[in-house]
Amino acid sequence: MIRLSKVTHAYGDVPVIEDVSLSVDPGEVVGIIGPSGVGKTTLLRILALFVRPRDGTVELDGESVWSVEEGERLALRRRIGMVFQESSLFDATVARNVEYGLRVRQGWTDRLREQLRSIAGRNGSWDAVDEALDLVGLEDKVDQSARSLSGGEAQRVSFARALAYEPTYLMLDEPTSDLDPRNTGLIEEAIQEARDRGIGVVVATHDMHQAERIADRVGVLLGDGLTEIGPTETIFENPTDERTRKFISGELVY
Amino acid sequence: MSLEAVAQSLPALVDLPFREGYVTSIIYVSLYVSVVAVTLSTLFSIPVALAMGFTDFPGKQFVKSVINTGMGFPSVVVGLLVLFTVSNQGPLGELELIFTREAMIISQFVLATPPITAISLAAITGVSDNVREAARALGGTRLDVALVVIKEARYGIGTAVLAGFGRAISEVGSVLIVGGNITSSQGISKTRTLTTAIQLEARQGQYETAMILGAVLVAIVLVVNGIVVRIGDTGPMDR
Amino acid sequence: MSTAGCTGGDDGNSEGEGGSQENQGEQAAVAGETLTLTTTTSTYDTGLLDEIHPQFEEMYGVTVDAVAQGTGAALESARNGDSDVVMVHARGLEDEFMRNGYGINRRDLMFNDFVIVGSEDDPAGIQGMDSATEALTTIAEAEAQFVSRGDNSGTHTKELNLWEAAGTEPGGDWYQETGTGMGEALNIANQQGAYTLSDRGTFISQRSEIDLTILVQGPIEGGPEILANPYGVMAVNPGVHDNANYDLAMAYIGWITSPGAQEAIADYQMNGEQLFFPEAISEDPDFQQYVPEGWSSDSADE
Repeated sequence: MIRLSKVTHAYGDVPVIEDVSLSVDPGEVVGIIGPSGVGKTTLLRILALFVRPRDGTVELDGESVWSVEEGERLALRRRIGMVFQESSLFDATVARNVEYGLRVRQGWTDRLREQLRSIAGRNGSWDAVDEALDLVGLEDKVDQSARSLSGGEAQRVSFARALAYEPTYLMLDEPTSDLDPRNTGLIEEAIQEARDRGIGVVVATHDMHQAERIADRVGVLLGDGLTEIGPTETIFENPTDERTRKFISGELVY
Repeated sequence: MSLEAVAQSLPALVDLPFREGYVTSIIYVSLYVSVVAVTLSTLFSIPVALAMGFTDFPGKQFVKSVINTGMGFPSVVVGLLVLFTVSNQGPLGELELIFTREAMIISQFVLATPPITAISLAAITGVSDNVREAARALGGTRLDVALVVIKEARYGIGTAVLAGFGRAISEVGSVLIVGGNITSSQGISKTRTLTTAIQLEARQGQYETAMILGAVLVAIVLVVNGIVVRIGDTGPMDR
Repeated sequence: MSTAGCTGGDDGNSEGEGGSQENQGEQAAVAGETLTLTTTTSTYDTGLLDEIHPQFEEMYGVTVDAVAQGTGAALESARNGDSDVVMVHARGLEDEFMRNGYGINRRDLMFNDFVIVGSEDDPAGIQGMDSATEALTTIAEAEAQFVSRGDNSGTHTKELNLWEAAGTEPGGDWYQETGTGMGEALNIANQQGAYTLSDRGTFISQRSEIDLTILVQGPIEGGPEILANPYGVMAVNPGVHDNANYDLAMAYIGWITSPGAQEAIADYQMNGEQLFFPEAISEDPDFQQYVPEGWSSDSADE
């Protein structure tokens, strides 16, 4: 479980999130909705153990993330995957992109051997890479150059890249905002599949209907903290907080 | 066709007044000194460019102005500075580097580093932050991320290395001063490069011979450029 | 004086000059070492050194690195201890070098001469003059084009000495200082139909490519003595630079002033002409070669 307790963060003097507490367990999809710019990305970064909040605690499976050594924290961080809004693939083949996470987790001697093998033209391939690409329906693009992919394909490869090393948790920041309906659908399917495999997924999205579709729980971020968090049905049909109700119904315009 | 065969057939083709092995030996010295200098410079410049691009450290502004000044620094002055350093009277006199290839390598290292660093820096900072973030998010250590940046910037870095190589292999004044333009009495080069050989022919008024050596030098530069571009596969032009 | 590695009957190995090279190399304490010799560009460019050095190198099993730098730089390198032995043709500078304690064991080596060359038209009319200083004065007065090395080389030094002896200071549009080597200077003079002072050796090697002729001869062909160009060789003083390869320097000086090498020098030709005239060996004593000119025990400064 990743647990945030009373987490506050600001950039300079500008407060971004205040007093947020939430948790994520493996095997569930948590959606974070709210208007653009409200701090969803920052929240995700804190969840991914990237950003140290000004205040509050962050725990992974009981360990206080920011109280341990850098090396230990790296090990913790490596159990989490992240997909950004822009696909940011490396200028290499799809295979090289997807296997990146696996490669950096190898020991240096193994990595050296792999490097020498690839120079000699004998590229090894990881099963995990094929499986991850299979999940997003792009197994046939394995050796293609990443730069030649369409936007939707690139984002799917990004997804596969984050999944290949079997993280326990997966953070997705607006993964489908730039995509067409077909690719959006494929990503959403992949998210469900990841959840079914036991991965704890957090999806930040400004499309509340997407959250309604795929999330088990939804948190509503409305500019000064987590207004509410609860099971999807509850949030959408019977929210506790008045602001949530207004946001869901479209009355609250930011 | 091997380099040896080309170099030996060259005199026959153009009737150069050189002894056998002369041209080959000066080509060898030219390449040896330049390649070693550029390799050392690249190994030094890339980490510096990474540091300059992504971190803040005390003296960063100073380093930046040193690099910029170095780009246009008169190479013959570098030669003089290296001479003062490696001469018997200088601080490194003990090492007896004067009139050796090693002194020439030092001199070319100093000359090649500013352009290699500056151009690599431009390429490296051109790598989008998103890519760096992704590399980190996927579990990369700082070293992993640095390697990713280098790979992403590889075309720019290749350009940088070529620029450095071009500066090194074209160098005359400084390698002449610290190297001494020496050959054995059989005409096999010890510290004579194509450029200093050209200078020697020119001072004797043998301009035609100088031009032929010049053509050899240009050919080498073109070949090296071609090889590096080739290694870059399709390159950025195919985007 | 004896030099290290001197072939002699000491070990009973001597077989005359045809003695096995291996033996001599192993005997010599300097075998495998490198001698750094700095000299002028005009000396080096004649190709003499590359021609005669192999004999010395084989004799001792050593390598000679001949660095062609130009007179001033050659002496400066020696002053800095970057070379072991220096060979130039600028007596005034050699004397200064010795006076300052940097050079010892000087020997006269060889000589050639300078010539004043110009285009056949000879606008200043100096052809055949037997006074070099008069020729230069005539050129100056006629303001005829004159190319000067302008680089503190041996040739340039000689040229300046001539102007001084002639009592004329050169200057003006007609007097061009190029700062180049002799070959280039001749090319420039050729293009402009100008006069210049050249060492005979470089002129001979360039003769086929330029249209200049000798207008004032040097002493080798009966011209004025003042145009003589004597070469000297000196060892770098190990008292000043303890890393100087003194043993090998002395072996070199010993060899190059020996009858065998002196003969090889005389035999050296360029374009069918002898370039250098040996001077190291004579029946009569020549004390002046060991000390600065004009030095005597009466005039001891220290």
